[in-house]
Amino acid sequence: MHARSRALALLIVFAFGLGPLAPAVFAEEKASELENLKKQMLQMEEQFRQLQRQIDKLETKKIQEVEAKANAALDASKKTFASQFNPAISLGIDTIGSYKSNAQGFNPGNGPQAGARINNTRPAGADFNLRSAELFISADVDPFTRAYATINASADAANNDEATLAVEEAAIVTTRLPYNLTVRGGRFFADFGVLPHRHDHDLPFVDRPPSIAAFVGGEAQTNGVEVSWLAPTPFFLRASGTVGNKLGADFRDGVSNVNSRPIKGLTYMGRLQTYFDINDDNNVELGGSIAEAPNAEDVTNTGRFERRLVGMDFKYRWYPLGYGVRQSLTIAGELLHDIGGADPVNGGPRRDIFGNPVRQGAWGGYVYAEYRLSKQWRPGFRFDYFQLQSEPLLVTNPFTGLPASTLNATGHRTDNRTWTAYLTWFPSEFQRLRLQYNRSDRGNAQDANEFFLQWTAFLGSHSHGFSERE
Amino acid sequence: MTLVWRNRLWGLAFALALFSSSMARAEEKIYVVTTLPDLADIAARVGGDLITVESLAKGIEDPHGVPIKPSFVPKLNRAQVLVIMGLEYEHSWIPALVSEARNPKILKGNIGYIDVSLKVTPKEVPTDLSRAKGELHPAGNPHFNLDPEGGRLIAQTIAEGLTLNFPQHRATFEANLKAFLAQLDAKIQEWKVMARPLSGVKFVSYHQDFTYFADRFGMEYVGTIELKPGIEPTAGHLVELVQNMKTEGVKVVIREPHFSEKVPSQIAAQVGGKVVKLPIMVGGVPEVKTYFDLIEYNIRELLKAAQAAGVAGKV
Repeated sequence: MHARSRALALLIVFAFGLGPLAPAVFAEEKASELENLKKQMLQMEEQFRQLQRQIDKLETKKIQEVEAKANAALDASKKTFASQFNPAISLGIDTIGSYKSNAQGFNPGNGPQAGARINNTRPAGADFNLRSAELFISADVDPFTRAYATINASADAANNDEATLAVEEAAIVTTRLPYNLTVRGGRFFADFGVLPHRHDHDLPFVDRPPSIAAFVGGEAQTNGVEVSWLAPTPFFLRASGTVGNKLGADFRDGVSNVNSRPIKGLTYMGRLQTYFDINDDNNVELGGSIAEAPNAEDVTNTGRFERRLVGMDFKYRWYPLGYGVRQSLTIAGELLHDIGGADPVNGGPRRDIFGNPVRQGAWGGYVYAEYRLSKQWRPGFRFDYFQLQSEPLLVTNPFTGLPASTLNATGHRTDNRTWTAYLTWFPSEFQRLRLQYNRSDRGNAQDANEFFLQWTAFLGSHSHGFSERE
Repeated sequence: MTLVWRNRLWGLAFALALFSSSMARAEEKIYVVTTLPDLADIAARVGGDLITVESLAKGIEDPHGVPIKPSFVPKLNRAQVLVIMGLEYEHSWIPALVSEARNPKILKGNIGYIDVSLKVTPKEVPTDLSRAKGELHPAGNPHFNLDPEGGRLIAQTIAEGLTLNFPQHRATFEANLKAFLAQLDAKIQEWKVMARPLSGVKFVSYHQDFTYFADRFGMEYVGTIELKPGIEPTAGHLVELVQNMKTEGVKVVIREPHFSEKVPSQIAAQVGGKVVKLPIMVGGVPEVKTYFDLIEYNIRELLKAAQAAGVAGKV
């Protein structure tokens, strides 16, 4: 503005013919102005420098502060603690309140479990039971293997209801074998059937299906080695073979499960399973299992003493992709056939009334349907059937070598049927309440009504493995 | 074992071997498996003709509750690369499947396991890690794919991961990534303009999955229908939520496709607002076929809802 008015004044001076005077006046004025400007510039430059110094100082301070913080955090993270290698840990608490008009049927075995009540050693009447407080631990061992253990404490009726600690599983699993192979060794739930290798608290019901409890003896525990293989096919096909000291309670092979024995006294198991997607929303799973215990006494005794347990399983699932989380249907079941030559009453090989060694077979199985009404509510129904094996034999069918009659000494059929209705409520993924009613119709004992209320909770990293999938 | 059986077994083994070798021939392209469809779409752009890519989950599913289908196992077994979202997004189903797949390449920590969350700065990282807060994600909210800038990080991480596994194709991956990012940049500019009226719009959703989206476009998250992440609402919580919405003037209720429509509609009716069904993954609604579709669809539908509810700002 100032400059412009000055220029204007200059113009006027020239215009009025005062031109010759103007340059001298202008030059004088210009020199002093330049001098002023120079001074101002220098001042400003000095101010700039000061500001720059202040900024630098502040920035360095800030960087130092941030660095100090970062270094502290880094240093802290660099410190190693023994606990850094702690495995994943979870604890499942499973508690049951029940009322039973009669306890369930008796275990038809010989050996330590003989005469024990199926599924539950607890007597009839009202009862509260801490079924399990189960600690699950797992981690990678090294680049080649991982390992896991399940340590369970359950209230022991024989010990004034004090919890007794048991190692349910403790196994090492390979992770890097070639040819789609995996080897598992230690104590584990053998790959036989579907529900036999579920832990109690992971079952879809309160109790294990009575047929599984009778034929496998609860969980399919074994001590041994398992090799499994995934076929390189576009569809899922998986095979496994296991050799172990037993399968579950394994009360019918007539061999002690704790002592060493001839190789033929071990239990050999195999399983083949496959799966098909019918479409996005419907799928089917099929499996077949076999467990064979070719008893050593087979050789020394005259009798056919071995035991063979065969199982078939299926699962159909309707799980609409868009809303399966809150509405879906599962129908599944297993069929078992158990044939063995041990005499559960007198020991040694089983004989008919003519003294000929015989094997006796029994059928059993269950089927259930569960409907998911919402994310939280799942009602279901189960039917279970099994034949008892321990009845005294009457006559042998000469063609099959099997007992001709399934009637026991008192003339009752040995069929056992259980009808079950249940309702599960999931307040969250980690907590579950379940109400269940069992009506048992047993051939050789009083019928029973049972009511259960189960409350289960999981602490820690409770993630389901592949074999525990729903 | 009789001779006949032995011969049959050999025959079976031979047939299987033949079968698997013919499969190998069919798969000359790099076989990439992703957990979610967004990753498949972006991986297909980055990998181009060099790869075939397949997503295990479909867009309409609940990404936290994908069923553990055994049919996923052979896919993971053959996968040369597995791409996952990370931040525990797939924690309920992918670890069990990977451990069954017998494919050491795609085990966590190996180069075939590409976790696209690595470049993401996670939001809502819990300061108090307790299950009383629901089934929370200890590493932070994993729904960063809904922010287009998240798409950039996903593409970059996939490109780096693929290059690490197949360095011979580095140039192709880099060129493809550049093309994708150029398109994304142009789109982001468009979306920013398009989404201007959404700035300051308050909303609730069923699950806490629109955090990154809301932050990008200046929207305000007021609450969720779920009590806590993964926990169904209680009656008391819903009363409180509606009260809160009334006080705050919230008129927009987002429903993700895998949640039931009932509760969101009830809540919207109580505050005189609008329910808008927004996919959280590619394929969540039929119109959304690509990652670009996903972002654009969500902005457009939100605009419609906000305008209908009378809460949209001026352009």
